[in-house]
Amino acid sequence: MTRDRKVGLGAMALLLLALASYPYLGTSGYQVSIASTVLIAAILASTVNFLAADGGMASLGHGAIAGAAAYGAGWASLQGHSMATQIALAMVVGILVTTVYGVLSMRTNGIYFLMVTLALGMVVFGLAYRLSSVTRGENGITGIERPEVLAEPWAFYLFLVGCFAVTTAALWVVSRSPFGATLRGIRDSESRMRSLGYYVPAYKLGAFMISGTIASLAGLLAVWHTHFVSPSATELGRSVLLIVMVLLGGLGTTLGPLVGAAIVILVENVVSNSVERWPTVLGLIFILTILFARAGLVGSAAKVLRRRRRGTDAGEPDTAEPAGLTTTTTIP
Amino acid sequence: MFEPVFLAQQALNGLSFGALLFLLASGLTLVFGLQRIVNLAHGAFYMLGGYIGLVIATLTGNLLLAVVVAMIAVGVTAFVVEVGLLRFVRGQEMPEVLLTIGVMFVVADLCLAIFGGDPKTLPAAASIQGAMSIGGLIYPWYRIFVIGVAVVIGIALALVQTKTRVGAIVRAGVDDRETISAMGVNIGWVFTGMFVVGGALAALSGTIGSGVISVRPGIQNEVLMYALVVIILGGLGSIKGAAVGAVLIGLIDAFAKAWIPELAYFTIFAPMALVLVFRPSGLFGRAT
Repeated sequence: MTRDRKVGLGAMALLLLALASYPYLGTSGYQVSIASTVLIAAILASTVNFLAADGGMASLGHGAIAGAAAYGAGWASLQGHSMATQIALAMVVGILVTTVYGVLSMRTNGIYFLMVTLALGMVVFGLAYRLSSVTRGENGITGIERPEVLAEPWAFYLFLVGCFAVTTAALWVVSRSPFGATLRGIRDSESRMRSLGYYVPAYKLGAFMISGTIASLAGLLAVWHTHFVSPSATELGRSVLLIVMVLLGGLGTTLGPLVGAAIVILVENVVSNSVERWPTVLGLIFILTILFARAGLVGSAAKVLRRRRRGTDAGEPDTAEPAGLTTTTTIP
Repeated sequence: MFEPVFLAQQALNGLSFGALLFLLASGLTLVFGLQRIVNLAHGAFYMLGGYIGLVIATLTGNLLLAVVVAMIAVGVTAFVVEVGLLRFVRGQEMPEVLLTIGVMFVVADLCLAIFGGDPKTLPAAASIQGAMSIGGLIYPWYRIFVIGVAVVIGIALALVQTKTRVGAIVRAGVDDRETISAMGVNIGWVFTGMFVVGGALAALSGTIGSGVISVRPGIQNEVLMYALVVIILGGLGSIKGAAVGAVLIGLIDAFAKAWIPELAYFTIFAPMALVLVFRPSGLFGRAT
């Protein structure tokens, strides 16, 4: 085990401990609820992070995938189905939507991929809005309960910490596996990987399925948190926020999504209460992030740490900069 | 449901909506052809153009003046965005595209702040009144006018592209940026110019379109989705593709809205899906 990895694991364990002890530190119900929102957003953002950093595929449709899964649970709850059916339906709908996304986008890359996921996300939003016999249109579906074991807010929060740990670990493992290495190869040069004999679309589809499945889980968790789903859950703004979180936290970093989610959710909660023009603020944050902070907070911090350490020992070579959002597009 | 008059009416609906989509998508596809970026603020430019056009049309009752003012105002906005923001990330496609999303949010939200949240349509005074009547078919002249505008603009764009020096420079920029800049053309300003033209086209479609679809908050996403589907279908960067894609999507959308209104969004997505699976570069797109 390298030193970097030991430090990383230690930091992760400490963070999880801190996260898990949060509800016992005399926090109010509101604070625990915000923290739950952050964790759910972090799970969702980490799926976008995985695709963008390892696959070079910046998705603007993950909010809609999560929303579709939430609608699956909502519809089942509306029909009075059991909890198991609700969970199953949420995952089935989410994975189904993911499959459509994946199949349609697997032969595209770069901007084309972005546009396809964007257009599909808008189709999901349109369906949520107009297919009112299933989705109840603009009013949305209310009264969606979570399992009784998780009824208490703190229990649900601890469950979310567990979910976050498991999904982050899972994405970490996938990213370090040969599959992840192949994905990065495709990100850096699709033609090279093709001539090496890799069937590129299959890898892209695989990556999308992994990412979308976890995004569906996040959608289910979100609806368990708010007990409510409406078309706004599938809005483009949601997916844009995910990209903001990923960029702010640091593309390709393990903890970036959590840091980014925490910042965005806190700003959203503080700002949208006091300022009427929240979308303008969001747009400006987004523009400033892209212009000035593309390495993100965790990314920049890691770079500073590495540089400082290199003064004392030889250290390891810099891991390659994640190139997910700077790669060039080749039109298929 | 299948009476000839009904079918003719829906076909005209489809054609006029397709004409509007063409006006909208042509700006997007031209900018992409040259700069290799998709301006995701295009829908917001449409919205801004629509609102400004409506204000002028309400004040003066003159549609032409409304269109011109809207095109100039949005053109200036596009200029500021290009020179003030996009230039700093030139050549890095993803940041460029993501920046336009930020612009979209700001512009759309400021439109809401300035023009309010009520849906607005072109006032009757500035619109073209009356309806064409052939046999049992009655159809508003305004929508026929939209088709005419799209045809004129389409032909004008094609002529400028193929017959003029400016068009030659743009085509050269599409094919080989290095060579054209080595020949003494300041390609940076060509980019800026094209971005402004794209914004002006969005404003044109916004103002003309306000007589067909009301301008309201959220319209920026809706028209952006249509425009994206059109150019994915037709092939990025191709005017011909935009025209074919727009008519196709317009017709499909009109008939779907008449026959299966609940699935209206879903049906325009079907042809896009087919094209993506079998011809990912679009019907008229060039593989590079």
